[in-house]
Amino acid sequence: MHEMGIASSIIEAIQKEQARYPGSRARKAGVRIGEFAGVDSESLLFCFEAIVKDSRLEPLDLGIERSGGDELDLQWVELDDEVCV
Amino acid sequence: MMQVPVEQKVLSENDKIAARLRSQLANSGTLSLNFISSPGSGKTQFLERTLEMLPRGIRAAVLTGDIQTDNDAQRLSRYGFPVRQISTGGACHLDARMVEKHLTGWQTADLDYLFIENVGNLVCPTSYDLGEDAKVVILSVTEGEDKPLKYPGIFRKSELMIVNKIDLLPYVPFWVKLAREHARKINPKIEIIEMSALTGDGFDQWFSWLNERAQTKKQFPGRDRERAVVLTGSRLPENTLSMS
Repeated sequence: MHEMGIASSIIEAIQKEQARYPGSRARKAGVRIGEFAGVDSESLLFCFEAIVKDSRLEPLDLGIERSGGDELDLQWVELDDEVCV
Repeated sequence: MMQVPVEQKVLSENDKIAARLRSQLANSGTLSLNFISSPGSGKTQFLERTLEMLPRGIRAAVLTGDIQTDNDAQRLSRYGFPVRQISTGGACHLDARMVEKHLTGWQTADLDYLFIENVGNLVCPTSYDLGEDAKVVILSVTEGEDKPLKYPGIFRKSELMIVNKIDLLPYVPFWVKLAREHARKINPKIEIIEMSALTGDGFDQWFSWLNERAQTKKQFPGRDRERAVVLTGSRLPENTLSMS
């Protein structure tokens, strides 16, 4: 069960991205997971939701796209840009 | 709302540290191998035997990962080489940060080999680059021949598969040919060595493999092996280091 560690890494990456746009809030992020990446989507989603729930990150959703290789990539982050410059 | 493209590896922080380790080990000409298997496939015994049989003058060090206890480090430290235990305290894999931290104080320039024994697990260690030159997967004959199909990730990423405990073949229903076929189906380029860490069978082949990789690394520290083989025009001479 390393999905908890993977979920934390995704959240760190999202926060880093969010910090590049001061005042913005991340609402959703998209990851791509290859079938040979050794990561279980259900379990990853469960861990991600567990970290986000009742934290200052809420609401934050994770979208998962499956692919054929061994990728484990953060593809995009959707930011609430109301306060963006 | 706006969507910003990120397109980066989720484990990019780990990969940065791994790249730093890889560059350090390239400069020192140290061959680093990451051994991955299920619990109980004989990783520690295999490394004990390897340390015991290493030719005189070869300098090696071992990092051994477990969730709890330093039992493996105690076993491995009997052979006169530096050994450190990495206790992950719950994590089911090693990551590059743990490796970097536990290398502190060791002069990698003094090392020909760095052996990293990962936590016994065929899934989670697959995702984490430790700056190694190659991953080596160990499968023992008391497991199923279909493990390469069940856990394709690690067999795909490994350059060598060791089939261990072949001394037990008369007593267990394990068909080596089938295991080989399954492994090659997942990874046609994977090299395979059958051995028994208990009896020492297959260690000649293992040491040839190790020696070839070490020589290639010393001659072409920054390049990958296939390119090095192309540049030299042929396979590198085996057993340049004499076996004691």
